[in-house]
Amino acid sequence: MKSDRIFGGIWLLVAIAMGVLASKFVAPFAYEPIGPSRYPILLAVLNALCGLWMILRPGPEPEWPGIALWRKIFVMFATLLTYALLFQDLGFMLATALLTVALGLLYGGTPKKCIIGGALMGPGLYVFFDKLLDVALPVGSIWAWG
Amino acid sequence: MDAFSYLGSGFLVALQPVNLLVAVIGCFIGTVVGMLPGLGPINGVAILLPLAFALKLPAETALILLAAVYIGCEYGGRISSILLNVPGDAGAIMTAIDGNPMAKKGMAGVALSISAWSSFVGSIVATIGIVLFAPLLAKWALAFGPAEYFALIIFAFCCLTGMVGDKPVKTVVAALMGLVLATVGIDANSGVYRFTFDSVHLADGIQFIVVVIGLFSVSELLLMLEQTHAGRAAIKTTGRMLFNLQEMGATWWGTLRSAVMGFVIGVLPGAGATIASAVAYTMEKKLGDKDGTFGKGDIRGVAAPEAANNASAAGSFVPMLTLGVPGSGTTAVMMGALTLYNINPGPLLFQNQPDLVWGLIASMFIANVLLLIMNIPMIGLFTRMLAVPTWLLVPAIAAVSVVGVYAVHSTTFDLVLMIGIGIIGYVLRKMDFPMSPLILGFVLGEMMEQNLRRALSISNGELGILFQSGISIGLWTLAIVIVAGPRLYRRFRR
Repeated sequence: MKSDRIFGGIWLLVAIAMGVLASKFVAPFAYEPIGPSRYPILLAVLNALCGLWMILRPGPEPEWPGIALWRKIFVMFATLLTYALLFQDLGFMLATALLTVALGLLYGGTPKKCIIGGALMGPGLYVFFDKLLDVALPVGSIWAWG
Repeated sequence: MDAFSYLGSGFLVALQPVNLLVAVIGCFIGTVVGMLPGLGPINGVAILLPLAFALKLPAETALILLAAVYIGCEYGGRISSILLNVPGDAGAIMTAIDGNPMAKKGMAGVALSISAWSSFVGSIVATIGIVLFAPLLAKWALAFGPAEYFALIIFAFCCLTGMVGDKPVKTVVAALMGLVLATVGIDANSGVYRFTFDSVHLADGIQFIVVVIGLFSVSELLLMLEQTHAGRAAIKTTGRMLFNLQEMGATWWGTLRSAVMGFVIGVLPGAGATIASAVAYTMEKKLGDKDGTFGKGDIRGVAAPEAANNASAAGSFVPMLTLGVPGSGTTAVMMGALTLYNINPGPLLFQNQPDLVWGLIASMFIANVLLLIMNIPMIGLFTRMLAVPTWLLVPAIAAVSVVGVYAVHSTTFDLVLMIGIGIIGYVLRKMDFPMSPLILGFVLGEMMEQNLRRALSISNGELGILFQSGISIGLWTLAIVIVAGPRLYRRFRR
């Protein structure tokens, strides 16, 4: 119940922000009766109505994960983000090997298995995609100095 | 007769070595993805779409790959339903009710083979349905103007809201989110930048692939963190592997009935395999459950839902190919794939791209034959793969998803956006927001706005044009009936 209300409130704010932004869309040459701003404003109004509805008539409270699970989710998020940010620098091979170890551990693999998995998966997927299927993947800018 | 000569030329396309190879790969991947609990057709298609694009496959080949994955998933879902009592995908929920008890009685082989057979029958019946009805529907839809299209899209959204039923507001919000995301980027008519926040990365709009991977791969992986049925052992398949003629006879009519019904449900925009298999199971139970054997391992209860979910998957291609309005979340993703190739699905597709359409339909026939072979004689291969551990599967899916997204633009921005959308998707899914309307809104958003604006340009801003022709009035009426009907019905019954 509370979650729906909070979401409804956020959604209402988003809708208002959308409406304000959209009302400033002006076409340099207006040749059609409906310009670029009317449709987004229509969506904003509908969004606002839905937001209000969720505040006034919230549904049952969803089952949120416990703290332990939230921690896992955060670790997963941080791991993926680190992977994404280091993807071009470390290169696909190393980054993916590290990702495999990290996620493997998170999803219940034993350290030994995960390290073996990472050592195989990084180079394996690199050869498969880059060499075999011709999908260009980053080699990694840190290797360029050596 | 026309359709059959086109179908003939479609087979020429489908039988080209590349397309045949892609169909085999797609069927295999599809069965595996369908089988693995937590991953369904929409995830499989979403993860493979960017790869198909990155590999620079021609449009028809990419579409054949994705279709094979989709159909394969509908086959594969039953394997874990029967052996693990955990449905491999949403369409296979009903299959577990009788499939798992059958397996416990030592008839796992029979349950697997009869469900593969009924999947095959369902899928073939529905594909024949496509051949017969899709060209007619496409011809009829040629008369659609912008006002009719706008009404049609509204109708499609109403179907979704009507079907999801118990949480209409969340369905509407999800659809609106998709529509809002679709407005980001340059407005095609006026050149105005909308909601781009001065970022060059958003000028072209939010990449379809980024949204799809975020919602259906990243958020799915997060959901997998909660899965706890890792320790559950699969039932060993022992004894007879193939059903006998008597068992085939007992299920034959139920399979056919469910196939036809599944096809019809699939054609309706919004209603998908989950609903089709539930309706089929309930129907067969009502018709045939005289001794109370349903739920305790009745073979008819295994065959019917499988026929229906496969038929509905094939049926959902009809509105996508003929109207450009997808019939399920998965076909919405496939339609997005088409637009990546600058192909606009719609009634003209049958005229302008006959090779693509008929090649796809022909390859659906081929894929079903391939799947029957993979799922009866070669079933052992897949049951062994049920043991793929999560700790290996998750990083593999994550890496493949990233490869697909990265291959499109080679920017870190897209990767970060993908992860952000994935997290938001996870929270939304925890809050019970359905994801199909979101992706449908995102795919249809531009079309909806363009048709609305075009219609109003014709009428010089007069809203009355939206309700002028017989077709649009009919569609608006149907839309209202679908949304209001079930609610009124419930009120009157009380």
